[in-house]
Amino acid sequence: MSRTIAEQLALVKQEQRLGFMTHVVIGHPSLEETRQRVEIMAAAGVDIIELQIPFSDPLADGPAIAQANHQAVANGVIIEDCFVLAKELSNTVDIPLQFIGYYNTVLNYGIEKFMADCVAAGIAGLTFPDMPIDEEQYEQFYYHAQQAGLPVVQLVSPATAPERLQLIAEHATDLVYCVARFGVTGATDELNTQLGEYLDRVRQYVTLPLAVGFGISTPQHIQALHGKADMAVIGSALLNVPINKLANTLQPLCAALSVPPTNTIQ
Amino acid sequence: MKIPKTLFFKTQFDADKQGHFGEFGGRYVPEMLIPALDELNAAYEEAKHDSVFIQQVLDLYKHYIGRPSALYFAERLTAKLGGAKIYLKNEGLNHTGAHKINHCVGQALLAQRMNKKRLIAETGAGQHGVATATVAAKFGFACTVHMGEVDMERQAPNVQLMKQLGAEVIPVKEGNRTLKDAVTSAIQDWMGDPEDAYYLLGSALGPHPYPTMVRDFQSIIGMEIAEQLQEREGVGVLPNYLVACVGGGSNAIGMFNAFLDVPEVQLIGVEAGGTDIYTPGQHATRLASTPQLGVVEGYKSYFLQDEHGNVEATHSISAGLDYAGIGPQHAYLHSVGRVRYESASDNEALNAVKTTSHLEGIIPALESAHAIAYVMRLAPTLVPDEIVVVNVSGRGDKDQHILKQYL
Repeated sequence: MSRTIAEQLALVKQEQRLGFMTHVVIGHPSLEETRQRVEIMAAAGVDIIELQIPFSDPLADGPAIAQANHQAVANGVIIEDCFVLAKELSNTVDIPLQFIGYYNTVLNYGIEKFMADCVAAGIAGLTFPDMPIDEEQYEQFYYHAQQAGLPVVQLVSPATAPERLQLIAEHATDLVYCVARFGVTGATDELNTQLGEYLDRVRQYVTLPLAVGFGISTPQHIQALHGKADMAVIGSALLNVPINKLANTLQPLCAALSVPPTNTIQ
Repeated sequence: MKIPKTLFFKTQFDADKQGHFGEFGGRYVPEMLIPALDELNAAYEEAKHDSVFIQQVLDLYKHYIGRPSALYFAERLTAKLGGAKIYLKNEGLNHTGAHKINHCVGQALLAQRMNKKRLIAETGAGQHGVATATVAAKFGFACTVHMGEVDMERQAPNVQLMKQLGAEVIPVKEGNRTLKDAVTSAIQDWMGDPEDAYYLLGSALGPHPYPTMVRDFQSIIGMEIAEQLQEREGVGVLPNYLVACVGGGSNAIGMFNAFLDVPEVQLIGVEAGGTDIYTPGQHATRLASTPQLGVVEGYKSYFLQDEHGNVEATHSISAGLDYAGIGPQHAYLHSVGRVRYESASDNEALNAVKTTSHLEGIIPALESAHAIAYVMRLAPTLVPDEIVVVNVSGRGDKDQHILKQYL
């Protein structure tokens, strides 16, 4: 049985290093390869893996992840496949696995049934970027997640206003995901230069650990997060790394988690 | 009579403060878009209560668009169908040839008020793209239009027009490479540049406040109909039926809004029946078939989707109706029974183009022809003192390369 997000975060803290979250799109390029990629990531030292439920219209995803979604949908991957794979993986890896996806999938499946099946599959948390807390009174998504004991990871962006940070802080559980820059998912060469200032602002309202994603792709990016964030998130940059090169690609990234920066922020 | 006389009026079918029309609408967007939508909503709420802004909109309606558009009694069409009196509200006479310019002018004024530098738009057939490029040129904005690669090919003349007006046209290569993918691409462009860019959405859909705002700028259509019909038929005379085509739903809601609180006026929206309304991928009838609730592209409404919640491909001979979602207020008006939704097939629409061209010397856009096609079924069942007004939302010049294959 895999650990909870809170247990994994406690472990990261105890080891005095940054945490590391990665991402796969379920069924890209195949269900079998997704399973193998998750196992490689877990073995390499990744702390949390986002398993993305493929959707036809992934609003917040840039070209790389959107393309992977379209391919998985075209391959006929459906939510039942996601539950089967999650259940199998949560028995073979120790780290928490969380579902990321779009709300229409849940709405269509039935919220309560979705939550129950997540629990049965050993899912440790949820991220649904197009289900903001503002719509909770109409959907009761957060309520049912809480009833099922599933943490919902909330997103904040550099433009999120103070009163909204306050609101999000009130609803957040376990971890808050800080989108590092404007725009959609995708790898970039340079990090947002105002990242430190932005994360300091978030910390005025949010006491939970902060994960930083969007545009993170290199060991240098990870090193630059030391002392600012609690966890680095890499999605797009790993998406199309061939499976036989995945372990080698992860090695320097994982090594950077416990290495403090040698120079100041670029 | 309860017909409103000023822009930005309220009806009993309006959204609540968060943009919910009953269970539809809302703002189902990633956190990255919330600040930009908050800014837009605040600016819009302020502008619509500002008499200077209202006057600017009305002046542009008159002097730039050429409003009011004609309400024309289609005498020969009426005689041929042998039933109700048929009037055509000819939005095809507007500058740029369709109703789209109404909300483009309004939103461009708002963007100017918000000190934005660039307009972003999505387009399917290219009509909204052309209208956006037009107002961008007029107001001095940079302009980026996102358009699916497939649509760019089938609507090449409009691509040329946009470029001539100074817009940059971005080919969208994701997904089906049509309107839905262009919407996603445009939203993402905005997400990356919320400070300087204004997203000029082209229909009464998307996250709050777009469905409300686009409707408000289009409501002039119905307001004019009420006034023009009284000039023609006598004080206090109301239409018995208003009929409009519905893709996203901007021309229909613009026609209906002023009459929503007048229950004696029957309102009918006509969706694209394509080639077969019973086969997925062959039509775009979200309401006239079995409506499926969904949350896609930032709003809750009815969407054509498969049993797993993935959005399905659609088909219509008219690119403007070829869309899987429908504006949330239409979903609401359907659910409460205030508006009835019907469909017309590709062939019926083609026949309506032919009939209207030959009898009236008016070539309607293929989109608008769906509304006329339904009226051709409806009118013969009515009596001669009943009045049907159909919205000719655009003219058919843009469709000539499609029409020549069929007519």
